[in-house]
Amino acid sequence: MSEHLLEVTNLGVQFATYGGEVKAVRGVDFYVDKGETLAIVGESGCGKSVTVQSLMGLIPMPPGKITSGSATLNGKEILGLPPKQANRFRGVEIGMIFQDPMTSLNPTMTIGDQISETLMVHRGFSYREAFTRSIELLERTRIPEASRRAKQYPFEFSGGMLQRAMIAQSLACNPAILIADEPTTALDVTIQAQILELMAELQRTEEMSIILITHDLAVVARMADRVAVMYAGQIVETGTVDEIFYESAHPYTVGLKEAMPSNRVSRDKALMPILGSPPDLFSPPKGCGYYARCPHAMKVCKHNLPPSFPISDTEHVARCWLQHEDAPKSDHITQAGR
Amino acid sequence: MLYYILKRLAAGVITVWFIATATFIAMHSVPGDPLMNDKAVSAEIRKNLERKYGLDRPVHEQYFLFLGNMLKGDFGISFTQQNRKVNDIIRDHFPVSATLGVLAILIASTGGVLWGALTAIYRNRLPDIIIMFLVILGISVPSFVFAALGQLLLVNINKLVGYSLIPVAGWGTIWHMLMPSLVLGLGTMALLTRLMRSSMLEVVNEDYIKTARAKGLSPTRIFFRHQLRNAILPVVTVLGPQIAAITTGGFVVELVFAIPGLGRYFVQAVQQLDYTVIMGTTVFYGAFLVFMVIVVDILYGFIDPRVRLQ
Repeated sequence: MSEHLLEVTNLGVQFATYGGEVKAVRGVDFYVDKGETLAIVGESGCGKSVTVQSLMGLIPMPPGKITSGSATLNGKEILGLPPKQANRFRGVEIGMIFQDPMTSLNPTMTIGDQISETLMVHRGFSYREAFTRSIELLERTRIPEASRRAKQYPFEFSGGMLQRAMIAQSLACNPAILIADEPTTALDVTIQAQILELMAELQRTEEMSIILITHDLAVVARMADRVAVMYAGQIVETGTVDEIFYESAHPYTVGLKEAMPSNRVSRDKALMPILGSPPDLFSPPKGCGYYARCPHAMKVCKHNLPPSFPISDTEHVARCWLQHEDAPKSDHITQAGR
Repeated sequence: MLYYILKRLAAGVITVWFIATATFIAMHSVPGDPLMNDKAVSAEIRKNLERKYGLDRPVHEQYFLFLGNMLKGDFGISFTQQNRKVNDIIRDHFPVSATLGVLAILIASTGGVLWGALTAIYRNRLPDIIIMFLVILGISVPSFVFAALGQLLLVNINKLVGYSLIPVAGWGTIWHMLMPSLVLGLGTMALLTRLMRSSMLEVVNEDYIKTARAKGLSPTRIFFRHQLRNAILPVVTVLGPQIAAITTGGFVVELVFAIPGLGRYFVQAVQQLDYTVIMGTTVFYGAFLVFMVIVVDILYGFIDPRVRLQ
């Protein structure tokens, strides 16, 4: 039995396309504990969203297919459940919010009705009870004049307000975990900050865990307790937020950090992009996925998939041959040197 | 919403006036006049008749006379049917055409939405392929062919049961209405099915459907509460013009099924240049269509809050 709230082991997801099988997620392990925030970071197309969507059963099957692995919530398996049972934990034990709040709510239903719906289906509330509770939820996400706003339609809300409404909706059944799939990408920076603040606050009051999908390291630094860095369908490094930022052990993590813009004006430190693009997941490389772009690539990396090497006695691990005891020692990994 | 309706009604009145004027001009630019068909009319009698009917006056005077009478709700007396008021013709025969048209629209829209939703659910599987094949048929085969085939089918059914179960032609009972309204609605139904199918497939991929699934709603609930209403919107949009198409298509179907609708009078009047009947039926039909389109638009407002509230 696991003592973790959510534990995912060896998750593999494929998509059948005309061009062949896309191996979007290739053996992902992670866990989430009660009340903590796990950030999953990585560039577009590395499998972040697919990972969490397969947990929620949101992958269209076919063409999608979960090829391996298990995910347990409070010790109970949640992958491959029959639809009726799956509906009982979706929205109840795990809530989810999405990238674009503008398109994530039904345009022909009032905000209040959409929140009420969840309560009526899962909690057996009457419409009136559910609607009253919806207003409370909207108040809790700091939407002013909630009782009037609940009767409005999504097109009458601004983007930030819609994301608040989405959060209110996902909180309706007090989920243990909130999955936020790039919740602030579609919002402008000031609204972003407000939404993140709201999420952090609700996390404290509701004692819920958050899985935060993002490619924005600034958001990670602000919100996360632990971080999992994904690349080409695998988690290449995982550890606490401090370990990931200050003791980065995988060249890709370093690359992400150096590609992050900062507001410190310094002439000598230019923004450094990671050259190239992620590997083709139709036929993922046999060795390390990052081989082709890695400034530290060695012969061994090309054909041998690096196992997870522990970096310290904590849970900081990295999938990189540089961490092997026979690897050439260098003081620190950089992206430079090319 | 009230302002919106009033605005649409005002625009409707202008449209009807435009229809009336255009018809009037078109009608008078056709060579000949209603008296032409009466044989053996001497010049003197003709002159008297012209004076009696006001045809000797300048065209613009006739036009204003007509407009004035129309505002009073009087379309005048038919030139070719003795002592028959145009108002009576409309009152006697329009309800028949309207019943047929409304039935056809009902069949077409419910059928279209139903089949369209079904094909979307069974996308690329056998039911979808079969229905989509029939849809192509429904769109490309003209209604008079379906009318004839429909009659043939009824004849065979009646022969099979041994008595006249469903009448092949004529008007009166609900059984009479069945086949003609189905035939009349078929083309529109096919069109709406296609539209509904693509609209459904588009809606399935919308983010809010993903949200609904993430909320743990059952597929049935998602289908009825989230997909259907949003998918119907584009279908309702074309319903207005489709009502016009069905009404004009109705003339042919009325003819084939020997239905005493307005269509026959309409066509006859044009052939005989029966000025008053042409004007009366055209303006009345036009007004009816404009009204139906407004009704559809109001209906749209009820389905889509974005229209209602902006």
